[in-house]
Amino acid sequence: MTELRLHRELYTGAALDAALAVYAPHASFERADDAACWVVRITSRSPERERRIAGELGNYALGLTVKGRTR
Amino acid sequence: MNLVQIRRPSTSFAMPFRHRQVGGKVLITSTEGNFLLLTPDEFARFAEGDVPDGTPLYTRLAERNFVRAAVDARAMTERLRARRTFLHAGPNLHILVVTLRCNETCVYCHASRADMNATHTDMTKEIADKTIDLVFQSTSPSVTIEFQGGEPLVNFEVVKHVIEAARAKNRAAGKRLEFTMVSNLSLMDEEKLAYLVENKVQICTSIDGPEHLHDKQRKLPGLSAHQKATHWIRRINDAYAAMGLDPTLYHVEALLTTTRETLPRWKDVVDTYVSLGCRALFLRPVDPFGFADRTAPRVEYPRAEYLDFYRSAVDYILELNKQGVEILERFAAIFLTKILGGEDPNFLDIRSPCGAGIGQVAYNYDGKIFTCDEGRMLHEMGDHTFLIGDVQTAKYRELMGHETVRALAIASNLDAQPDCVNCTYQPYCGVCPVHNHKTQGSIFGRMRESSLCAVHKGIQDFLFEKIGGGDKETLEIFQRWTTVRDRTHFLQSCAT
Amino acid sequence: MRVDAATYPLDALYGAAYVFIDRCYVLLDKPDASWRVTLAWKKGEPTADQLRALVGEFANELLSCAWRAKIAEQNRAVIESVTAQALGGAMGPPSLDDLEKFDFSEESFEDPLGIALSWEEKHKKKARADDPHAAPPGDAEKP
Repeated sequence: MTELRLHRELYTGAALDAALAVYAPHASFERADDAACWVVRITSRSPERERRIAGELGNYALGLTVKGRTR
Repeated sequence: MNLVQIRRPSTSFAMPFRHRQVGGKVLITSTEGNFLLLTPDEFARFAEGDVPDGTPLYTRLAERNFVRAAVDARAMTERLRARRTFLHAGPNLHILVVTLRCNETCVYCHASRADMNATHTDMTKEIADKTIDLVFQSTSPSVTIEFQGGEPLVNFEVVKHVIEAARAKNRAAGKRLEFTMVSNLSLMDEEKLAYLVENKVQICTSIDGPEHLHDKQRKLPGLSAHQKATHWIRRINDAYAAMGLDPTLYHVEALLTTTRETLPRWKDVVDTYVSLGCRALFLRPVDPFGFADRTAPRVEYPRAEYLDFYRSAVDYILELNKQGVEILERFAAIFLTKILGGEDPNFLDIRSPCGAGIGQVAYNYDGKIFTCDEGRMLHEMGDHTFLIGDVQTAKYRELMGHETVRALAIASNLDAQPDCVNCTYQPYCGVCPVHNHKTQGSIFGRMRESSLCAVHKGIQDFLFEKIGGGDKETLEIFQRWTTVRDRTHFLQSCAT
Repeated sequence: MRVDAATYPLDALYGAAYVFIDRCYVLLDKPDASWRVTLAWKKGEPTADQLRALVGEFANELLSCAWRAKIAEQNRAVIESVTAQALGGAMGPPSLDDLEKFDFSEESFEDPLGIALSWEEKHKKKARADDPHAAPPGDAEKP
């Protein structure tokens, strides 16, 4: 299991939700949000795959967060 | 670099200026593009405001509008306006890629050429017609349709169709219409030549230098690409002369792509161009588009080496000019027109904002529309960032107002660009957002790391060193290089 | 890498991060008054030099974004003016078809100084109740 922590001040919840919808077919995701961060626990076939999915998910959420600021 | 000591800078003497050490002098430029080359001592006095009225230095500074107390605001406004006349009209250059097919394979090809059997990459007459409809909606009073490829002679039927259709359209539009073609000339024949000459199509080709260098970089199966090109250059020039046209004005233009192999051969390159009767050569560095991206390990080089090549070549060109040989270097001519002439020659890659969309548009064989040819090249490499429409559905105003066109106008405005905003060469320079996007990941880029910025700065350093050197003959040659003689023969008549 | 949030505003951080998301994984965090940026290689094992170059390039992009934001603020008028002229010159005037599609109906025209009022509207006397020709009372008179 790999945990991805995205700071609430830097990533929007909506962006993360949209990113999770895109990556849903590729792994299992469990939310464990806390006061400071959106937290996603990722489970997949291997630690390397989990690392890559976490990275792609984080990038996607970041991209959507940035785009959301310019609209 | 030698530091100039400024003890007490004045905030009231000088108009806003930028400065840079060039050679042993200090170059100052103003917002509107006036310049002076000062000695370090003169610069220190200028910066401290210690220049009494009536002294020769005061007169020099005041004449160029550097003194706040003597500023001529009207002259400043007029000069600024002269530098931006291109702002008030839309795209004048329309690049039609009539085919991707090409019979040559060039090591640095940025056009992503296709094999000769790839007929699906030929522009159809239907797409050509829709393209022409859009071209003539440009707000520019002048329109140049430039045929490119691949090799445009491969799809000559569509070239002819475009010429006829554009002429017909222009009877109502009344624009200053010109046609140019960029061709390797290897598929030229007497029939095509007769048509192109009769229909006043300006022809431009590539010559990489002497035969063995050219043929090594530009493969024409079973034949010498150089021999073919030079044969037709001479044949076309003879045809112009036979029509009574001034050969100093009417001849085939050629340009060069500088690869690593070219760098030590600067003298051979210049001599080749002179022997072909060319009056200009454009010492372009290799760019990162198309095949050049893949062949970079073979063709690329540090830009400092390119600048050494450039200096050697242009020094030699200047020596030839002093011996009565008329030939100029195009980069130098573009910058000198801005520096010495106070005008903008509207070279779309070196202006602020750049010409992407608002100064040029590229139409691919399949009707897709791009902000510029570089944007089209990236599309062929799989990056569709600069695709702005399709001739089947696009509306002209929507193309010009496209968010990508807007973004590029802002990204290429030097008043918005770190480094450029403070650069001494800002009045004369330009950036390429597409180049920035390809090499640095964003259309804004970081100029300190930009190979294109290094080239522009290096060339301007060289030119200002020459200007500061004070050699009278060199200055006269530079002035001649800024003189543009209209080639009115190539203007298409609007008459029926 | 950690960067001072006072020196590098959030928009600059986002701008720089966005440029890199095609090349590496970018994770932003805010442990205290600074930003923390973690860059991770997408595939394979990078060398120390590659990682150093990546971080250095990110730092340069971040500086560039921060400075560009300041320049845009300072030079806003000239940037907007040149851009408007460039795009306006290229687009040209709207055609009748373009105007037909334009929605004129939305926000009311704001006119705090009453410039758009006609002379009559501005200076009309109060209507007499028994005057059948008097115009109905309109907006309050503006100075």
